[in-house]
This record gives sequence, C-alpha cells and structure tokens, in this order.
Amino acid sequence: MATLGHAKVITTVVDDDPAAYEQRYVHEVYDRIAYHFSSTRYKPWPLVSKFLFNIPTGWVGLDSGTGNGKYLPLPTDNPGRIWTVGLDRSPNLLSLARTAGVVRGDVLEGGWRRGAFDYAISIATLHHLATVDRRVTVVKRLFESVSPRHGRILIYVWASTDGQDVFVPWVLQVSTATDGVRHEASRTNEDRDVRTDARTCQIGTEAAQQMGLKVSPRLAEAEGVEEAEGKEGIEIIASGWERSNYYIELWRWQK
Amino acid sequence: MVRLITHNLLACHAKGCTSNNFPLRFSNVKLALREADFNPDFIRGFLPRIEWDALVQASREIGDTSLPPERPEMLDDDFLKQLHHVLLEIHVDEGSMTCPNCEHVYPISSGIPNMLLAEHEIR
Repeated sequence: MATLGHAKVITTVVDDDPAAYEQRYVHEVYDRIAYHFSSTRYKPWPLVSKFLFNIPTGWVGLDSGTGNGKYLPLPTDNPGRIWTVGLDRSPNLLSLARTAGVVRGDVLEGGWRRGAFDYAISIATLHHLATVDRRVTVVKRLFESVSPRHGRILIYVWASTDGQDVFVPWVLQVSTATDGVRHEASRTNEDRDVRTDARTCQIGTEAAQQMGLKVSPRLAEAEGVEEAEGKEGIEIIASGWERSNYYIELWRWQK
Repeated sequence: MVRLITHNLLACHAKGCTSNNFPLRFSNVKLALREADFNPDFIRGFLPRIEWDALVQASREIGDTSLPPERPEMLDDDFLKQLHHVLLEIHVDEGSMTCPNCEHVYPISSGIPNMLLAEHEIR
C-alpha cells in the first residue's frame, strides 16, 4: 500500500479470472451508478473534442466503451458532419445515450466489419481491464475496426488515483523473467508519468506487432532517414498528458 | 439505436465465423420513423464507404424499396434525402438480426442491438 498525500492507494490483487473481476468491479458497479455517473460526466475532454473536430466530413467512427455516449454528438459546431457509434457493456449507461447510435457489446470482442470505421476512440476505458493482455486485445480490436489505409485512433487513459471512477489499477504483466513472481504495480503520483505513458505506448506497440503492423512513420520526414519498411503500419501522431489523462493518437497506413 | 447506418457496419463475430458474416438478416422487426437533421455533406462523404448491396438488402427486409440496386453516380438532392431517410430515420426498435453464415441471432431490444456473445462463442 502506498500513500498519496492523505489518500491511500490500495494495490488491488487481480484474481485468477480477469473477466469475473471486471464483471464485479466494473460492469456491475457501472450499471448500479449509471445515472449518477452520467450526471457527473457531461463535459468532453478538450483533446477528444479536438480530435473529432479534425475528422473529415462523411467519416464514421467507433467510441469503444462509450458509457453515456457523451462524445457521440460531437463536433458541436457542425453536428451530423461525422457519425460516431457507441459501444458499451452497460445497458443502463447505454439507455442514457439513446438519442445516438449505440450498440451493446464488449470492448474485447468485435461485431464490426473489418475496417468498417474511419476512426475509433477509447476514452477512459483501458484502465478498466484487469490485465495487460486484455488491454492489448482492446487496442487490437480498435486497430481492426478502422480502415487499414487511413484509420485514426485516439486512446485516452485515465491515470489519476483521485476522483471518482471505477478503477482497476495498472498491473504489471505476470513476470516471466527473473523470479517468476507476479508483480503488482502500486501507483503513486511519482510513478504515474513514467509508467502510464510507457505502458500505454507498449500496449499500442504490442497490439500492432501481434497484428504484423510496423510502428513507424509512414514517410520519413527528415532527409537521410529511410522510409518505413513494410506494407502497413501504425504511426504515432501525438502523445502526452491532459490533466490526469495520458493520450496517444495513432494513424494506420498502408502502401 | 439500430438504424441502417449502424447495421451497415455490423458483422457476426462468433467464433470461427469470418466470411459471409454480413449483412445480418433482420426478422420480427418493430419499426419507428423518427425525423433526423439532414446533412447532405455527411451523406455525400459517407456514400463511398457504404456496403451498398448490404444496405439495399437490409432496407428491403424492413420494407423500404426506395433504393436502386446499384450505387448511383449522379447525386441529386432528392437521392441524398432519400438515402438520409433510409440510413438515419428508420429505427428498428425491436427484433433480431441473424448471421447469414452461422445463423447466430443477435437480439434488438428497446432499440439497442445486443452483440455480446456467450463465453464459448467468443473467438
């Protein structure tokens, strides 16, 4: 247990069945608090608004883990210029988003034509998954859901220990290295900067590699740098912090 | 809500079902018409992304025969409005969608399609 100011950070032990863990600590909780949660979650994060503002007219996208669907009507300056479908497991949260297009489903699964979308967003969802493997799977589903030629992805990871959210802590992958002991990550303010961004990037890279996608810029920007090898890949367009969230924007490319 | 724009993006994802897995076939549908704001720029931009045959088939299954069998090349305002209507104003509030390949059934209840699979059906 680490101490963060006056708040205690409890290192949660993930039991042997991550799906059961998520069912108990994420899905059931959200269904119970849906209305209250929704009434506190009405302001979109500025960077998400900006990402959607820059999406070309006529594109369709996926909001994976949409909750109450607050991003679905964006951009507010010209609603209906793009169209975002929301996916979530919680029927009670979805019922609050019913004016938009929502689908009940799991962020770990599919349900879409491969490459059906032009963009996909995952906002404050990844931290609900109990293991690194499952987080990698969620990112793979995002990569698969968008066009291999031009698909854009924004992942936003909530990385604060204060605030009210349903929180499954980042857990280090079961160690296969030195001691064979399962390491749990405890989180403090000091470790969040280095750990969350590194892990989110690793998860993105791992997901890409498992799909045979190269993680590199599509075109070399500087002279003397060779153009990316390979036929398709993922380019990291931007990454950084917005308040207590780490974000990463990735574009798929194909030659 | 299940409108044909959403339906056009869906595919069956049951274990082992990877080809011929869309369009999902509608049955026992209860429909509602709800007006939506017409944005011709969106419809024009989205048109090339539509799986046209799937849209035509699905619209006929739910009783709308207004779309031509081939994706038109000339886009006049009347056509864009008609396409807007088919994609965004017809709501399937109740019913089910069946995979043409493995016949998995995805129910629609209160306008929300349920794409969740049972554990043994997940790939």
